[in-house]
Amino acid sequence: MLARLSNVTKRYGRTEGVHDLSLELYPGQAVGLLGLNGSGKTTTLKLLAGMLFPTQGRVEVLGKSPRENRGQIAYLSDADNLYAWMTPGDAERFMRGLYPDFNPRRYRELLAFLEVPQQSYRAMSRGQRARLRLAMVLARDARLFLLDEPLSGIDVISRDRILKSLVLEWREEACLVLSTHEVSEAEGIFERVLLLREGRLAMDALAEDLRAKGQSVKDAFIEVLS
Amino acid sequence: MWDLDLEAGPIYAQIVRGVERMLASGQMKPGDKLPSARELAAALKVNPNTVMHAYSQLEMAQITETRRGLGTFVREDVNVEGIRLRILQEAALRFWAEVQSLGLSLEEAQKALEQVSLNGQREA
Repeated sequence: MLARLSNVTKRYGRTEGVHDLSLELYPGQAVGLLGLNGSGKTTTLKLLAGMLFPTQGRVEVLGKSPRENRGQIAYLSDADNLYAWMTPGDAERFMRGLYPDFNPRRYRELLAFLEVPQQSYRAMSRGQRARLRLAMVLARDARLFLLDEPLSGIDVISRDRILKSLVLEWREEACLVLSTHEVSEAEGIFERVLLLREGRLAMDALAEDLRAKGQSVKDAFIEVLS
Repeated sequence: MWDLDLEAGPIYAQIVRGVERMLASGQMKPGDKLPSARELAAALKVNPNTVMHAYSQLEMAQITETRRGLGTFVREDVNVEGIRLRILQEAALRFWAEVQSLGLSLEEAQKALEQVSLNGQREA
């Protein structure tokens, strides 16, 4: 097992981000973290990344707290948050300084595959920015990849390239968790889907098992939420 | 060729059917190399484990074989005729189910099939 949440509750003042959430993540899995906006997807990813502490319960990544294992965790936030002046070359130096596991060769391959232009972040389109930030994260030799809405709000060509690069970069020893509220486009790459509703786990299923019952992941999503 | 329908059952089974159909129609031949699991997964945007599952099913059904370090190939002794007949049988079953649900007879079904076939020949 790679990571575990045990009875985790996270409160922000009076509102709850997640409630009594327990789940285990395994190497080699691509996991879709699904749910509507406000269902607890970002909170769950930030708890796994060690960017939030649980109010109750425990989070472990490879047997330690996420903060003690930051080198094994690659997190892509949903915010558009890179320095405006940074070019892909600057971003490489930045990442190398920050993460010993950053792999420059893979980073350059990813930049080429994702067709990221050599210009400043400020001058890039939304889709180009998303592709650059993805390349920075995927170029790490981490074990747990946490991607928060990498597909939302960008053009269809960028989404296609991003999904293909996720498949090509897939590694047996790593676990990928990708949150999305646009289910159908991404659902083929998920081996397992977790569906959150109001901070609780409403479904945990293997995608092929759902399909064997004649449902797409999207059908199951709609059924559970309605 | 590799059309997937996310509402039409498990993806691995659709990939298996896709290979069988390509063999039956001659688009794929004995000895041909299949794309690597990773390549096909990227092209279809599906999980590589799913493609590997499909490839292991194809191997168990004696349709393909893995050559060490070279990849997955269609077996030279693959029973294409058997696959073709099975696909035909499945289509016949679907047709027959439709005939029965309409409350029609075998004679009427045969007549309809002959008519369709004649129209096809006239157009060709």
